[in-house]
Amino acid sequence: MRISTNTIYQSGISKITNLQADQTRLQGQISTGKRFVTPSDDPVAAARVLEVSHNKDLNNSYADVRKTAQTNLETLESSLGNITNLLVSAQSTLVAAGNGAYSNAERSNLGKELKNSLDALVSMANAKDAYGNYMYAGFKSDAPAFVANATGASYSGDSNVQLLQVDAQRQMEVSVPGDAVFQAGGADVFATLTNVVNLLNTPITNAATQAAFTSGLATAIDGMKTSVDNVLNVRASIGAKLNELDSLNLAGQDRDLQYDKTLSNLQDLDYAAAVSDLSKNQTIMDAAQKSFVATTKLSLFNFI
Amino acid sequence: MASNILSIGSSALNAAQIGLSTTGHNIANASTPGYNRQVVVQAAAQAQNFGYGFVGQGAEVTGVQRVYNEILAKQVVSTQSASSAYDAYSAQLNTIDNMLSDTTAGLNPAMSDFFGSLQELASKPSDIPTRQTVLADAQALINRFNSIDGRLNEIREGVNTQLSNSVGVVNTYAKQIASLNDIIEKSISTTGNTPNDLMDQRDQLITELSKQIKTTVVSQGQGSYNVFVGNGLPLVVGKDTYNLTTATSPTDPTRVEVAYQTTSKTTILGASSLAGGTIGGLIQFRNESLDQVQNQIGQIAVALAGTFNQQHMQGLDKNGNPGGALFNIPAPVTTSSSENTGSGVLTTSIVDPSAITSSDYRVQYVGGNYLVTRVSDQNVQTFSSLPQTVDGLSISQVSGTMNNNDDFLISPTKNAASTMTLAFKDVNKLAVGGSVLNSAAGAGNTGSGSMSALTASSTYTSSPLTGTLSFTYNSGLPNTLTLAPSTLPVTVTYGGISTTYPAGSPVTYTSGATVAVGSISLVLSGTPANGDTFSVSPTTSANTGPSDNRNGLLLANLQSGNNVAMIGSNTKNSYATAFSQMVSGVGSKARELNVTSQAEAKALDSVKASMEAESGVNLDEEATNLIRYQQAYQAAGKMMQIASDLFNVLLNLGSN
Repeated sequence: MRISTNTIYQSGISKITNLQADQTRLQGQISTGKRFVTPSDDPVAAARVLEVSHNKDLNNSYADVRKTAQTNLETLESSLGNITNLLVSAQSTLVAAGNGAYSNAERSNLGKELKNSLDALVSMANAKDAYGNYMYAGFKSDAPAFVANATGASYSGDSNVQLLQVDAQRQMEVSVPGDAVFQAGGADVFATLTNVVNLLNTPITNAATQAAFTSGLATAIDGMKTSVDNVLNVRASIGAKLNELDSLNLAGQDRDLQYDKTLSNLQDLDYAAAVSDLSKNQTIMDAAQKSFVATTKLSLFNFI
Repeated sequence: MASNILSIGSSALNAAQIGLSTTGHNIANASTPGYNRQVVVQAAAQAQNFGYGFVGQGAEVTGVQRVYNEILAKQVVSTQSASSAYDAYSAQLNTIDNMLSDTTAGLNPAMSDFFGSLQELASKPSDIPTRQTVLADAQALINRFNSIDGRLNEIREGVNTQLSNSVGVVNTYAKQIASLNDIIEKSISTTGNTPNDLMDQRDQLITELSKQIKTTVVSQGQGSYNVFVGNGLPLVVGKDTYNLTTATSPTDPTRVEVAYQTTSKTTILGASSLAGGTIGGLIQFRNESLDQVQNQIGQIAVALAGTFNQQHMQGLDKNGNPGGALFNIPAPVTTSSSENTGSGVLTTSIVDPSAITSSDYRVQYVGGNYLVTRVSDQNVQTFSSLPQTVDGLSISQVSGTMNNNDDFLISPTKNAASTMTLAFKDVNKLAVGGSVLNSAAGAGNTGSGSMSALTASSTYTSSPLTGTLSFTYNSGLPNTLTLAPSTLPVTVTYGGISTTYPAGSPVTYTSGATVAVGSISLVLSGTPANGDTFSVSPTTSANTGPSDNRNGLLLANLQSGNNVAMIGSNTKNSYATAFSQMVSGVGSKARELNVTSQAEAKALDSVKASMEAESGVNLDEEATNLIRYQQAYQAAGKMMQIASDLFNVLLNLGSN
């Protein structure tokens, strides 16, 4: 077959150019560690990578929300812990106040002690979170949840509960409105304490006042028990949520690992194969260049 | 006798000289593009009869011909135009492919950041720094949309420029071919010989022309070429040329189209008449890929911004006011054809951003009907009147009258991504709180009726609800709803058909129908009992506060919702999935084109090699020819020397 001199050069060049293109591609893969450089290298995998990265981001944003939820719930839990302690101590003071050996003056002292507890409780119920919001005021967190008055304290928050998206399919309640903590189940702890303070400050002078005291104290003890149970219930539900957050965190971390693994399978380069391809390509390139020079050196003109 | 030998020698010398010149010419042009090797056609001269027989009279050169295979040349031309078309298409698409390959610069990171900070805002609704972050991330997301679409616009500009350049090149070639036609024809008619080098030049021009556009050549008369381009448009006829030119599209002023110019008029050529070559490839790229990609990114922008705005308007901002739009998105681009004869003006708006497709729409007024064609799949809907809503797009005629065949093009999403902006920078205006509207079923309701999908429309901010609206079901009328206060008309939409009831008149109840009153809409469904009531009231400060994050949650969760429509499907995609589908669409097409263009380049190489094998110069062969003609020359010289010697023998006869 007849071959023109142009063809000899042309095909030599085009083969070397192709080898160079392959080298550039391999070099690109090796330097990025990715199996594909542009979507066209593997369109299906490229789209999957985008989807999986997006899901991973989404998963991470739920993890961030869970951190906030956890902080909120832990703050609530610690505040409710203090409240529980206060209520339990008030409860024992109440029980102790029933001691018939106490004089009016002693009862009045107990009354002062409980008045202090009441003030402390109102202040605890108006606790603020890290962002300066009143924790127990529902959505109306820019004003104190409770305002003390003659009969106890009035709730000025609302009964809304903040929900957070802690996982793709789970919205979790992360706040408790104050009325559900302090004024639920028919027992208003502020009223109970106020009544009992008044009761202890009222001297027992005769059988009637004695009877009023006894029955008032009994009511207060009942009320206080309901209130403590109530706070404990709220704490229990917070504890359960914190547990749930832990397991959601574990599941989230698991998913994150899965996403990483999928991403790695989709896009990571098989370095051994790529490096071996590159060195094979270099060998071929070397041979192609040498043989090109050798072939083009041959010319009849060298002999005439 | 000696003189005869001398003239034979001289004819041999002459033939060898011509052979040497031609070989030299071949060597000199070994690398000239389009050069076909030339050969000397040599024959024995007419022999002379001397009675005892014919005595040869030496050699004569009858011609110098180029080695040229017309069939192979035609194959080269047609393969060249196909290959150039794929090259042009593939080169353009690869720029988009490369742009999308940068995962850090894509849309997804900006989208994840934006929705991530919204989730954070939902957990700290009153926190000012978090609100700032949301706005900053919204701006960053807009910047990504702007920049991706801006890059696509640059590519579009580039296509326009390249088309103009290519058309210029085609016209230049046409003139050169016509003038070569003239010279070649003249020289053949005067000398009877073919001017080989000029013909090579002309064939080379044809090959170059075929790189720009599909080219067909028909030989005519005395060596003249008639050249047709694209789908058979005459470009060169003998000495005459016709021009291609560029013109802006009648329906899109930003689009440069290729047109054919005759003395009387300029006709814009459709994609089908412009197959092949760089021009064909560019037009195909623009029609099939660029328009689509730009519409798709615009569609994601419209769907994201539109659905976000809709949800944002359902919430209350930090000051307790109903939310407004966070993103400004441009209205659809509606262009009336410059060839319209009527005065009708169309206006379009997006009513349902999650139903908007990535297609353009064509509205034609034909025989008193409006034909709305979804361009991407040629789905046609016929309406006898406007306004109509098609795929979330409301089309209405604002003024003028239509004439038959008036034509409009609507691009709902084309410019959306590059022109979207942030509507406000005041952090307090982010509507994270509650819902602007509260719905309540009457406490004494006994039926199973329920209210859902309570939505404040985009006009709610300007005309908010001031008091409670209530619907009372009445089974006796029969089956109707009465609205109190009865100051507004009620529009009921069911199955795409809307009925408007004037203020105060009873509204026929249909379960599942959308009921719209003023700037609010809701869906009533189920079987209410007689006297059951459903009320809607504006949210007051009594049921919201700084920690209210209800709308914030809904906004953040838009990310995982499916709000981007797909053509020809009832299912929708999430924003991120729509984007990844766009990327994989570009990737697949680019991959397909890379493979095809490589195959086409191989085919071109192979027909070129076949042609070269026949017509190309082989220097070794020419070296052999050099030696051959050199030896022939030497032998002829020797012969003339012998003739001279013979003559001398005769002359010396006397002197002895």
